[in-house]
Amino acid sequence: MAAVGATIVFLGLVVLSFVISQIHKVLRLWEEREKYLDRFKKKAPAVAEEEFDQPIYKERRLPTVDELANTYRPLVEKLDEPFSLSQLFEIAKKIGLPHPHLSIQRLRDADILVAQGDGTFIWNNLKGNIGFDHV
Amino acid sequence: MFDLFLHFLSNTGYFLADYRHYIMIVVGSTFLYLGTAKKYEPLLLVPIGFGILVGNIPFFKGFGIGIYESNSVLHYLYFGVRTGVYPSIVFLGLGAMTDFSSLLAQPKLMLLGAAAQMGIYFTLLGALFLGFLPKEAASIAIIGGADGPTSIFLTAKLAPHLIGPIAIAAYSYMALIPVIQPPIMLLLTSKKERLIKMPPSRQVSKKELLIFPVVGVLLCCFLAPTALPLLGMLFLGNFLKECGVVNRLANTAQSAIIDTATIFLGFTVGCSTQADVFLTPKSIGIFFLGAVAFSIATASGVIFGKIMNLFLKEKINPLLGAAGVSAVPGSAREVHLMGLKEDPSNFLLMHGMACNSSGVIGSAVCAGILWSFFI
Repeated sequence: MAAVGATIVFLGLVVLSFVISQIHKVLRLWEEREKYLDRFKKKAPAVAEEEFDQPIYKERRLPTVDELANTYRPLVEKLDEPFSLSQLFEIAKKIGLPHPHLSIQRLRDADILVAQGDGTFIWNNLKGNIGFDHV
Repeated sequence: MFDLFLHFLSNTGYFLADYRHYIMIVVGSTFLYLGTAKKYEPLLLVPIGFGILVGNIPFFKGFGIGIYESNSVLHYLYFGVRTGVYPSIVFLGLGAMTDFSSLLAQPKLMLLGAAAQMGIYFTLLGALFLGFLPKEAASIAIIGGADGPTSIFLTAKLAPHLIGPIAIAAYSYMALIPVIQPPIMLLLTSKKERLIKMPPSRQVSKKELLIFPVVGVLLCCFLAPTALPLLGMLFLGNFLKECGVVNRLANTAQSAIIDTATIFLGFTVGCSTQADVFLTPKSIGIFFLGAVAFSIATASGVIFGKIMNLFLKEKINPLLGAAGVSAVPGSAREVHLMGLKEDPSNFLLMHGMACNSSGVIGSAVCAGILWSFFI
């Protein structure tokens, strides 16, 4: 009787602890359901229209630094200068830009994002305006 | 005239009292002293202590005065204990007062609450070994859960004649947490283990807090439906608190309702310790087994914390296992104090509360399971 009781209680609380450890994950999934649904919807036609005779590598090429600058410039304008890279990263991530970490790193390497020495950055208008006006 | 005076004298408490009444009056006074001067669980010990004084004033039986005499006022008040009404109401208030966010932030700590319930089952074996009947043994064993209302609830269902000694033992040991738990914690842990710092808990969202009582009541009560009167009320109280749309009800549950129930519960339990019913060899056995139950529960939690550390990458402080007993918030406070004693920057209170609240759920589930064994 004692062993059975102890086992039931223990298993019951193990199950409860497992379930409550998943609540926040389920909630996050539910709250971001639109994003996942969109992703699913976008992927579905792409598979249907897939043409195997076209070289895929052309679609997956890395954007050029100019293209990146064009993409990130409007985001930077929303921030007060100087800004931290984490702020920029958060915005880029929020709107779903691919590989924000890598892109920001490339912008830094191209001196479009210039460090101020105190952990903050400014946008280099001389280099980061290329093609922006044409977008 | 003189005969009338003698007759009057023969009906006074002074004439009717024997040594047992005086023993119980000393016990009641000790409870009042511990509650008021030492501030050990005053919300419980004060009404119980005063109840012991009232219950042990000798009286002439047959006039509907004592708690065990039908139609007496005390007997009606005692109805809430005998039927398990007061414990359920206390659980409602407890739920409305409990913040489960620390438990939701670290669900693994719930395992410590589960482990601390082992004291109940070891004591069950011990009580059976000492010759108690199975229902009596189960009622005594639940003292290991360190939860007064749960002990009273289960005893009312299985062994109503033992409510007095079991309730007094349960509340006594809860009040004596600062005396009982620290030596066990020190004995079973090394200094290095006591110095382990717990990571800060993650932020728990309002939605999680709202969903938890629903998930909790469904999971626990499907497992042990007999725990419904306790856990149903506990999670109802918590839902009232977390849903945010019935603040009036939540405020009443966590103040007026639980306070009223606590007064009547404590007072009538105290009154039920009438010397002739209370001072029996069985009571001594119950007190002995209660101490064993409480100690084993504390030790089980601590040892299980150490076992968990063998498998966990991020170690937990095994002291938290002692808070797995459901004495809220006494045992969490004791764990916190011991952590602080070793390292003044080691704050374990919130983590201890997580174990504490899981202990409340665990002991109520245990009560439900033990009750269901005898249905």
